[in-house]
Amino acid sequence: MRETVGGDVLRAFLGTLVAVVVYSVAGAGAPALLVVFNVFSVVVLYFSIRRGEIFGALLGTMCGLAQDAFSLGVFGVAGLTKTLLGFGTGYISRRIDVAPFTRNALFMLAMSVLEMVLWVLITAVVRVKPVNLQGGLILLQPIVTALVGSSLFALERRIKTRSSRGA
Amino acid sequence: MPLWEKRRSALVLAGLIVFHVLLISIQVPQGAEKSIFERSVFFVFAPVQRAASGTVRGLGSLWNGYFDLRRVRSENQKLKRQNFFLAQNLRFLEDRLQLIQSEIKIKAALAEFESTIVVARVIGVDSANPHQAIVIDKGSFDGVAKDMAVCDRNGALVGRTIAPVGFKEAMVQLVTDKDSSVSVKSVVAGLTGAMTGRSTGTCDLKYVLASAPGGEADEELRTTGFDKIYPAGIPVGTIQSLAPDEVSPIFRRIAVRPYFRLDTIDVVAVLTKGPGGGA
Repeated sequence: MRETVGGDVLRAFLGTLVAVVVYSVAGAGAPALLVVFNVFSVVVLYFSIRRGEIFGALLGTMCGLAQDAFSLGVFGVAGLTKTLLGFGTGYISRRIDVAPFTRNALFMLAMSVLEMVLWVLITAVVRVKPVNLQGGLILLQPIVTALVGSSLFALERRIKTRSSRGA
Repeated sequence: MPLWEKRRSALVLAGLIVFHVLLISIQVPQGAEKSIFERSVFFVFAPVQRAASGTVRGLGSLWNGYFDLRRVRSENQKLKRQNFFLAQNLRFLEDRLQLIQSEIKIKAALAEFESTIVVARVIGVDSANPHQAIVIDKGSFDGVAKDMAVCDRNGALVGRTIAPVGFKEAMVQLVTDKDSSVSVKSVVAGLTGAMTGRSTGTCDLKYVLASAPGGEADEELRTTGFDKIYPAGIPVGTIQSLAPDEVSPIFRRIAVRPYFRLDTIDVVAVLTKGPGGGA
């Protein structure tokens, strides 16, 4: 099937809806959880690895802007960082094998750390104020993102293995 | 092969980066008004958030309802007893009120009071920092507009509504946000200043002169109404600590502990009339 940018935009929009739903559910359950768990990053990482850099960039844009819309920060900062996250993740994952769990987790960790550094830098420059790191708690975000993301892939592999055994 | 096919990835990325840089650039320095684009994104995704939050709440209620049924018998007996005493108290208070005002005046005052409150549920929190903002499930269709005071179920100040206000959703800037400012006064010593957030669970009381006497820990702070947004007399929090300000020696450094708790906030009251409500 021929992949089109239009189709990717639609899929990215659906991916963003998934992120908003998970973010809303997590926020309703435990607001403090959102400091260490960025569901938008998890969604961008997961789908970028599966579908490549163009889809990753589009999904990053949509997820980032959705995140910005629910925040008092400067609109577009998360959009920019997640666009770069999606593109970078999709681009690199097409060139190196990131399927094994440990490699997958480390790759996601590295990308999440890069995204966070970029977000902190851009926010500090744009707002001309130091970024509130929530007493260091926010630094756990890349670790949680990497663990959740790689667990999703592991879960997906396990389900596929079981269904192929059953067939 | 055309350039688009050869360099498709790079061109998409470049286009998106330019788009974001322009988007950020037009907001710096930040203005008070949100762009149409930002409001549109909020309008698109806020109903999704509302639906997801409602579903989770519904499932939670179903689960709680099952366990509640098992406790309901004993609670019913207890409530009957409480109801008896509350009815006595109400009767006593009504008698006292009758002495002060006529019945018509009391009813008018109560009706006016009820019409100024819109009860809303919290359906989301700020995606970057939960101490900055929350999203509620009432919007312009319910009479909610920008700059209305928002209180928790105990009547303590939570924050104010800000743009964007959707048809059925609105964003509330919390008093703990670092860009928030509320004019407050301590009830005993009368220390008056501007309470600003730290984007954590606590706030600062600023611009209280070092020469101002009095003030101690646990003293309550209430709104003054000077800022023309929050009605006067709403409890905000208590003083946590007082110390000389080393950066600006003419002021005191006062830490404040707000009353509202982010982890337990579920229902809020939007005050649609008053200084911020414009009516």
